[in-house]
Amino acid sequence: MVDEAESGLIARAQAGDQRAFTALVRHYQDRLFRFILRLTGNRDEALDLTQESFLKAHQALARWRPEASFRSWLFRIAHNTTLDLLRRRACIEFVSFAECPGGEAEPAFPDAAPQPDQRLADRQSVELLGRTLQQLPVEQREILLLRELEEMSYSEIAATLGIAEGTVKSRLARARSAAIAGYQGLTGELRDD
Amino acid sequence: MTEHTAPKHTPDLPTLSAYLDGELDHHAEQRVAAHLAACPLCAARFAELQALSAGFKALPMASLGFDLAGVIEGRLAAAPRSAAARPERRWFSQWPLAIGAAASIAAGVFMGSALVAGRAAEVPRMAALRVFDIMPPGSLCIGLESCYRKESTQ
Ligand SMILES: [Zn+2]
Repeated sequence: MVDEAESGLIARAQAGDQRAFTALVRHYQDRLFRFILRLTGNRDEALDLTQESFLKAHQALARWRPEASFRSWLFRIAHNTTLDLLRRRACIEFVSFAECPGGEAEPAFPDAAPQPDQRLADRQSVELLGRTLQQLPVEQREILLLRELEEMSYSEIAATLGIAEGTVKSRLARARSAAIAGYQGLTGELRDD
Repeated sequence: MTEHTAPKHTPDLPTLSAYLDGELDHHAEQRVAAHLAACPLCAARFAELQALSAGFKALPMASLGFDLAGVIEGRLAAAPRSAAARPERRWFSQWPLAIGAAASIAAGVFMGSALVAGRAAEVPRMAALRVFDIMPPGSLCIGLESCYRKESTQ
């Protein structure tokens, strides 16, 4: 969405235009859901949390100011809402969600169509990367998602997570290093089998 | 960890990572580019970061499979300024089966077309991930003297 169009929608939503708010939800719903699903590892929970985040955003909309990026603001609400749940589940420190009640080792994604042989290796790589991601601590996983999937700038990530830009830089580097090591570990396991 | 005991090497991992993201200032960016051209170990490390980034873009894109916006619009209209922030749990599982089925079909069609559209881009991306397979774990520039000299003489 063009920033100007988005600003217009937000202004109308702030003035009470429900349809403008609906348009904003529609624009962000899949992206927010994807982010939350990768954090919780559970589709039903992610659906609940996505809805809850949008409803909170609706309530807080009057307090949004044009100086802030709307996307950062929205993802910050989703981040807070999701981490609240993970804290209640006492899973925030867990390395793997497979060990958490309600968590799945790898979120349920729709099966892709049957693949020709030459794509098998690619599919395996993607699956291994998905598993690697789920094994990272939440803190590292979410910063990778914001950067790699949402392609947020460091200043947007800083605003979303409520941390300094310098922390974004160092945490992202640590997360990438851990992801590479984790992926190499999993491919090593495969070779050893 | 070798990173702690090796002599300080520039660029360090956070700098390489920020270079990948285009988050360095112009001067720092030029220094890193020059170093990468001269240091195979850092170049290999940087290729790993690039491959990881490409791999993320090939991950399956989960989708809601239905229009949440429409559901929220209905809820807000039904209970203005009261129902917010405490959604009923499992609200989506209470839908009539027919609606669920229609949503699944629509989602299937959408996902199918998304997959077809995404295929061409996916293959080179995944080939990029193989960088990991040919490199030994932890193949990180640990600050060879030669690397460091090249950097410090610039
Ligand atoms: Zn080097």
